[in-house]
Amino acid sequence: MLVALSLLAVAGGVLGAGAATDAVGLDVDRDVYRVGVDPASPYADAVESEPALTAVPIEEARLGTTADLIVRGVRGGGGDLADDPADVFVRAVDTPKGEAAAASFREAVDAHNERLMAAEPNETAAFPVVVTLRYASRGSALDEGSTFGDASTTGDGGSGDGGSGDTGTAGDDGSGDGGSGDGGDDESGGSEAAAGDGSGTGGGSESDDSDREGDADGDGDANAGEDASEGDGSGGGGGWWPFGGDDESGGLAVPSIGGGAFGADSTGSPGSITPPFPFASLVLAFAFLVPMNFLAQAYGSSVLEERTNRRGEPLLVTPLSPTEIVAGKTLPYVAVAVAVTSLIALAVGGGAVSVLAVLPIAATFLAATFVGAVFARSFKELTFVTVAVSVLLTSYAFVPAIFTNVTPVALISPLTLVVFDLQGEAVSIGEFLFATGPTAIAATLLFGLGLGVYREEDLFTQKPVTRKFLDALAVRLSAVGEGVHESPPTGIAARIPGRARGLVAVAFLTACTIPFVFVAELLAVAILFALPVTVSIPVLLVVIAFIEELAKSVHLYAGFERGVLARTDRVALAVGLASGLGFFLAEKATAVVQAVGLTELYVGRAAFGSVAGVSGLSPLLLAGLFLAPLALHGATATLSAVGARRDRTKYALALAAATLLHAAYNFGVVSLHG
Amino acid sequence: MIEVAGLEKTYGGFSAVVDSTFSVEDGEVFGIVGPNGAGKTTTLKMLSGLIEPTSGEARVAGYDSTESAMRHHLGFLPEESPLYEEMTATSYLQFFADLYEVPRSVADERIERALDRLDLDHRDRRLGDVSKGMKRKVAIARSLVNDPDVLVYDEPASGLDPVTTNSVLEFTRELREAGKTVVFSAHNLYHVESVCDRVVIMNEGRIVARGTVDGIRERHGETTYHVYTDVPPEVGSGATAVDANAIGDAEEVGDRYRTVVPSMDAVERVREIVSDAGGTVVDIRTREPSLEDVFLDIVGRPMPGRRGGAESDGADRDAASPEGGDRGPDDRTEAAPSEGT
Repeated sequence: MLVALSLLAVAGGVLGAGAATDAVGLDVDRDVYRVGVDPASPYADAVESEPALTAVPIEEARLGTTADLIVRGVRGGGGDLADDPADVFVRAVDTPKGEAAAASFREAVDAHNERLMAAEPNETAAFPVVVTLRYASRGSALDEGSTFGDASTTGDGGSGDGGSGDTGTAGDDGSGDGGSGDGGDDESGGSEAAAGDGSGTGGGSESDDSDREGDADGDGDANAGEDASEGDGSGGGGGWWPFGGDDESGGLAVPSIGGGAFGADSTGSPGSITPPFPFASLVLAFAFLVPMNFLAQAYGSSVLEERTNRRGEPLLVTPLSPTEIVAGKTLPYVAVAVAVTSLIALAVGGGAVSVLAVLPIAATFLAATFVGAVFARSFKELTFVTVAVSVLLTSYAFVPAIFTNVTPVALISPLTLVVFDLQGEAVSIGEFLFATGPTAIAATLLFGLGLGVYREEDLFTQKPVTRKFLDALAVRLSAVGEGVHESPPTGIAARIPGRARGLVAVAFLTACTIPFVFVAELLAVAILFALPVTVSIPVLLVVIAFIEELAKSVHLYAGFERGVLARTDRVALAVGLASGLGFFLAEKATAVVQAVGLTELYVGRAAFGSVAGVSGLSPLLLAGLFLAPLALHGATATLSAVGARRDRTKYALALAAATLLHAAYNFGVVSLHG
Repeated sequence: MIEVAGLEKTYGGFSAVVDSTFSVEDGEVFGIVGPNGAGKTTTLKMLSGLIEPTSGEARVAGYDSTESAMRHHLGFLPEESPLYEEMTATSYLQFFADLYEVPRSVADERIERALDRLDLDHRDRRLGDVSKGMKRKVAIARSLVNDPDVLVYDEPASGLDPVTTNSVLEFTRELREAGKTVVFSAHNLYHVESVCDRVVIMNEGRIVARGTVDGIRERHGETTYHVYTDVPPEVGSGATAVDANAIGDAEEVGDRYRTVVPSMDAVERVREIVSDAGGTVVDIRTREPSLEDVFLDIVGRPMPGRRGGAESDGADRDAASPEGGDRGPDDRTEAAPSEGT
């Protein structure tokens, strides 16, 4: 209970700090630049409204001493500013700070003007042109070789018949016809001309769900929205973003976190319209993650404490199985996670989807921490492990969620579902399973890995982490080869003939690595997808090859090292082929990526190309393509196994060779896909 | 009750236990002794199902030691007694009774009885605040909450003061009288001698001697005679072969001299020598070999944690209490070395 309260306090602190920051701004940004300005001038209001600027009476302002910037009229001499902005001069001290002050002042004036325009009773006069933006999936645009903001997306829609025509008739009385502004022929899902609504409320943009699912059908479903920030997509309008809001250059496409934050207004000059970004939802979603880190720390300490002082030893002599003992140890923490998550969901307006989406994350935090606590020899090592777990899992959960409204890649994180939930968007079963499945399965397998060494000989000895990791893998294998001691089989294994049992165990263990492989590859995609294609694809292909080769062979190395597998080339060949087969079969299960449109992404195809749909090829070639991965996995796993059966150095060399072979194959597949 | 056949445990290339075979009868207290690293703890943990044997078999109460059902019939006391220090003795024991699915009323009665018998005070105090001896007693009580047929105790008196040690040893004898089978390891051989019906001596993973304490003593030890004289029996130039081989140097004990000899012939020879020198034999005592002497003879090194080893320890006891015989409780605090295996 105390732990739960503490975690709630932490989560509350995060939420409170976020809310306070949103309300009053960051204190460190206040009064950074001193601006000499006449209090009576209209620029004084602009300065006053910008927290970073502090006004200094013009008569006291001295550049470089009491002011970083001075604003005065040319003709006015003293402090009288002319009405015509052309008669105003601004002088900044000739330092970097002066330049920054001038930039800040410029932004303050722009923002001030926008506010004045927004306050105009006749908004049509203030904003004679209203454009409804509809953001399309970045991936689909790339696939078609087009870019955002080109003629096909903005030409037809943005200046289409509806928009301009209606604008002309609305306006004066502020109660125009609110034309629907059909964008007409916007086939690519680009922007679409909308109403010149007399009330001025229909000018925002909002995308439908099909956008974030990568649907690029452009059916003109962009209804009048409430708020641009609630929309999605990137690119489109933001030309000011330093890395480029469009993708024409192939540069970084990180969405802006500017004006869209916390539901900012969508009106303004084209230059001030920022791509929508679910900042508020993301911050609130992050609040779900914070307690997990503390929960994992407490859990890991508890597990390790039972090991280091041997308090857990008497439990191992009771009739309870290790699974039951670990369950008893873990369930209270799961209960705390459920309680805290539910309370946070209540506090931030999340629903059952948020709670259900966060639970696999909590389970993965606990499972990874459990493995770390079982492997670690000391609290020092545990600290390293838990910090690594916290950083990696928080990154895995949070970073993809940043791209919630941008790309389907975001769905690799369950936290994306929370963002959807907080935005009030529906989540399909397929999306839910895709986002939560890998983490849930990974959590289960991690617990299984830790349970393998949840025994006297490993819990209470000071073996290095690497040795325990190998132990944990080897304990899941069955003996293969002559002269290897074989434990009596139990359960399903007892029904399998002795010779095949070991090979089935190898294949099964390889298959169990698929969720980790999938998660690692998705993470690689998420990290690399924003890079230029010329860089991301080659790197990705090699990284993926290494991940898969490691997954196929590390347990074989453990088996040889621990004497479960006989050190002969014949056994290495057999277990290598078994591992390749297990991987091939399990890999086919990753076809689920198609369910959420991930393979529509270029890098998605590169990563999961082997399971993506291929059309226009002959049946023979298709069969060859289908079976080619089997041959590849079998050959490379065997290569690694032959190295592993000798020693560590030979294994490392063989693994490197297998990775290169696999990467070459990947290049071939990508080339074939075009 | 316990059948062990060909039990082995290897770690990589290291053999912790090699081809261990023995059996323990119902209601017997069975001792396992040996130096550090001899394989005692590994053997006990294999009996308890904590460690899976590399080969061989251990059957306890009719079950294979790796079966979880066996654990309902087993009480295990590890060498150390770390407890959940936030709990009280009562709540701690109730927690373990719950794990064994002992009905609450039955558990309450058992716990009360065990705590009473072990003179456990402060049973409602946090375990983190009680003494080491009390913790050990709580751990012993924990081994009894499921009313097991077999008790496996690893160094039950390790690190305890003499009073608590005697209490624990006495309790072990009571367990035997109650029909329990106890397997018991100890560094202090007096503890083993005083409670065990049969013992095995292990060295470097192998059983090197087995049987009753007396039987092992007869096979591996020799009776010696301590001859006390008022003058030292100095063997002169006319010494016989018996003199040279059997009569050692005399040791001054108070105003007398003690000469240790292996046979009555040697005693007679000492008497002659002393008489020739004008002296007399004051006293003759027979000393049976202790298990420790046997251990030293077999293993070739003193027991761990003993000051000066078994040989000097025996001499100390003699000097301190020549009339009290050569066997008695060691009243010194014993170090508690941890066992490597």
